[in-house]
Amino acid sequence: MSINNNTWELAEAYIAGSLTQEEVNKLNTRLAGDVEFANEFNEATNLVSAMAGSGKQKRFRSMLHDIHEKRSSATHPAKTKRIALPAHFWRTATVAASVAILTSTITMWSINYSLKKNESKYNTISREVGAIKKVQAQQQAQQNKLIEIINTKNKPAVPTSDVKYTGTGFALTNDGYFVTAYHVISDGDSVYIQNHDGDYYKAFLVNFDADADVAILKVEKKNFHFGKGEVPYTFAGNKAPLGAGIFTLGYPKDEVVYSEGYISAKNGYQGNQLQYTLELPAGHGQSGSPVIDSKGNILGLLTAVGSQNEANTYAVSAKALLELLHTIPNANSFHLPRANRLTGMNRQQQIEKMEAYTFSVKVYKK
Amino acid sequence: MHSQTNTEQQLLAALAAGGRAATEQIYQQHFHIINSWLVKNGGSSADAADIFQEAMVVLFGKAQDEDFRLTCSVGTYLFAISKHLWYKKLQQQYKSPVFLQDNTVEEENDRGIAYEDDINVHNEREAHYEQLNNALDQIGEPCRSLLKAYYHHDKNMQEIAADFGYTNPENAKNQKYKCLTRLRKLFYGVQAK
Repeated sequence: MSINNNTWELAEAYIAGSLTQEEVNKLNTRLAGDVEFANEFNEATNLVSAMAGSGKQKRFRSMLHDIHEKRSSATHPAKTKRIALPAHFWRTATVAASVAILTSTITMWSINYSLKKNESKYNTISREVGAIKKVQAQQQAQQNKLIEIINTKNKPAVPTSDVKYTGTGFALTNDGYFVTAYHVISDGDSVYIQNHDGDYYKAFLVNFDADADVAILKVEKKNFHFGKGEVPYTFAGNKAPLGAGIFTLGYPKDEVVYSEGYISAKNGYQGNQLQYTLELPAGHGQSGSPVIDSKGNILGLLTAVGSQNEANTYAVSAKALLELLHTIPNANSFHLPRANRLTGMNRQQQIEKMEAYTFSVKVYKK
Repeated sequence: MHSQTNTEQQLLAALAAGGRAATEQIYQQHFHIINSWLVKNGGSSADAADIFQEAMVVLFGKAQDEDFRLTCSVGTYLFAISKHLWYKKLQQQYKSPVFLQDNTVEEENDRGIAYEDDINVHNEREAHYEQLNNALDQIGEPCRSLLKAYYHHDKNMQEIAADFGYTNPENAKNQKYKCLTRLRKLFYGVQAK
């Protein structure tokens, strides 16, 4: 059944509100009496108003788009391009800049000096040399001082940019190798650890396994040690049984936080065999925290929590970590702790012992 | 001149009519807030543009109703809708576990409820428009171009008559009605399925 043109016209006029009261009354009577017409008219008005509405919205959308385009093209070129220097170049750059300033000052000074004293050239030359020597010595001293200042400042050489991500890491060996979750560091351009004394140390990536979500890093500083003795815990090569009690230390905030739970499933997210499923409260910032059993064996590291509806926590098993360890270039010179010094201790003692080897991982990005 | 858009109610009325000045004003005032919030919550600037523009369309849709009155400021409304849209988008994206990194402060729990209805209405309308556009795409020429010219590009019958080669606007209008009749068959035919 086709709608004739009159019906369309009527529908358009009705929507536009251009019908007279008399016409509206007539229409209403007809609608009440003629079911087929009422149906047609209904569909016609719906269609026309939907077409009009969708057209209007389309125009509005393209106007929004246009406003946005004009806006961003107006703001972007106005900004001058600034290239940020990566944090680890600052030291070099500062020294370089200070040398440059000193050198140019000396040149300026010596030129001025020779211009002033040019009536007695013979003298000036030797004095100039002497003066330069003196200044050079001064410069050297100043430079040394500068470097010294930079060095002492360098210990907490924290980039001024904001921390992008934080996670937790724990030591593999006492000489600076440590592990954290790969996703913590994957997006950053420099990684620092902050130990429980609050000191910062820069670290570099040694190896990682993105699928397993494990990363091995090393502290840059030479002769670095996490704690006084060897790492006090050992790594479990086999999977722990269901129900095994576990605890973890992590840095969801600036201070270390302890939580405990148990292994609730042998495999992890979607049956992932490299993982455990844990019943353990964990929050943001605890990725990479060690999962330790009551005897002080590392069973794994925290990686993720279930999204909203499920309250599970997932941990990568130590097995995945050990497998990754075998692939690093100098795997042979790498000595994992053999003796477990946590066994037999009570929990408070274990935590106290662990503290030096567990730290916050801070990831920076320009 | 600008006194017309002084109060928010007037601003909304101008927005509802598709006024550029009003739309630009709202854009300038509120986009950057949503942009910076979104960037802090895992989005990019491109996401922010998408989300904000969608929120603007929601507001635009609401403002079509003459009786519509906002119970809060335009800025608050846009922010709430944007947040809501963003969380929905994230929910769709993340079926997988949420990583534990990041120390961003957990958002206050106003995610749901507020303006849920507005967004649902908006989504229904979007679905409705999409069906309509699908029908429009199947209708064939010259109907498709003619209806688009009239409804999407806001051309009048005179212009359309000239563009499509009809002798007068009256002929063009009759053609438009024929096209609407075809569209109705397609659209309601599809819907009946």
